[in-house]
Amino acid sequence: MKTHRHSTTKQAAVVIATVLLTACMTSPTKPEGATEARNKLMQLQSDPQLATRAPVAIKDAESAVRAAEQPQKDVALGQHLVYLADRKVEIASAQAQSRLLQDQRKSLSEQREGARLDSRTLEADNAKLDTKAAQQQNEDLQRQIVELNAKTTERGLVITLGDLLFATGKSELRGSASTHLDKLASFLNQHKDRTVVIEGHTDSVGSDGSNVSLSQRRADAVKTYLMHQSVESNRIEATGKGEGDPVATNDSASGRQQNRRVEVIIVNMATSSR
Amino acid sequence: MKLTPFKPNATATLATPLLIATAIAALFTLTSCMSPPVPPTQELQAAESAINAAEQARVADYASPELGEARDKLAAARTAVEQENMMVAQRLAEQSRVDAELAAAKSDAAKAQEVNDEMMKSTDSLKQEMQRNTGAQQ
Repeated sequence: MKTHRHSTTKQAAVVIATVLLTACMTSPTKPEGATEARNKLMQLQSDPQLATRAPVAIKDAESAVRAAEQPQKDVALGQHLVYLADRKVEIASAQAQSRLLQDQRKSLSEQREGARLDSRTLEADNAKLDTKAAQQQNEDLQRQIVELNAKTTERGLVITLGDLLFATGKSELRGSASTHLDKLASFLNQHKDRTVVIEGHTDSVGSDGSNVSLSQRRADAVKTYLMHQSVESNRIEATGKGEGDPVATNDSASGRQQNRRVEVIIVNMATSSR
Repeated sequence: MKLTPFKPNATATLATPLLIATAIAALFTLTSCMSPPVPPTQELQAAESAINAAEQARVADYASPELGEARDKLAAARTAVEQENMMVAQRLAEQSRVDAELAAAKSDAAKAQEVNDEMMKSTDSLKQEMQRNTGAQQ
């Protein structure tokens, strides 16, 4: 009887232990959602763009998914592991995405540099054309200035019209003056930004008053001529300086001839070449 | 297996060393699949530093719901520690950590995307500008 009771006790102990051991386990099943996590991971692993770009995170996700796939008796633990696995797959995916974007930057920056270079080249070409046009314009101007027989002075470009334009004591232009004045008019019509000052000068023969008024009338005659050639009157200022501003001596005939003159000063010439 | 039911009079005399050992083992087994008695300090710290890292990376600027979840779960984990529900606390802390890490990873990707978009945009505008210039020239 004693041995029998002993064996009964032994059996009971084993049974209790077994029951207790399995107490916190129910039938073990693969947790819900583990398959989805696995599929998500496989999708990432089979993406040729992403698969190689986050090796550490993908390995991490792989072991988390494997842990989540283990059949669990504890449903809550299973769900917890599935949650962790799912998040880790997403982390790996986001990291791979970041890496891919970073890797794409090299080619993006090359593209941008290419576009920038193209645009610079074009800009340079345009600038070259502009320069050429400006040079052409400048050359035209220089040629015209030479033709006008102009002198560069501090006041601007000065064109001296000799007394041959006028008969002695008269303020009417001679016909021969027109060639020279036509060049000036066409110059002014081409360069609308220029204004001119026309100054009449005389020699010292005659009274001051009559010399001033003669020089004024001669300057006005030039202005009138230019206005007839379509140069706007507000661009022309005509003054009579009389005998007060000689360029040569009044003691000799040739000096007096040099002093009898009309000067056309083209202002603003020095400010730009356009 | 054949089970022999216990008799009350037999139970009284069952105080054999074997049964005591079994009982201790059983208790041990029971407690082992219950909550561990110590707070999951390591997990809590890991969650906290993951959240801090995400915050420093200005994840909030990129409107991440994951970061909010991470914060909520860390708070819940701390409450669970106070209630001595250490198993729950540990799992919440672990989830909080992955949430924060995901928030950071997503925000990195969003920022990277933004930079690339900006680059593409500037390339496009250069090209467009050039086409306009070419058009003006011809």
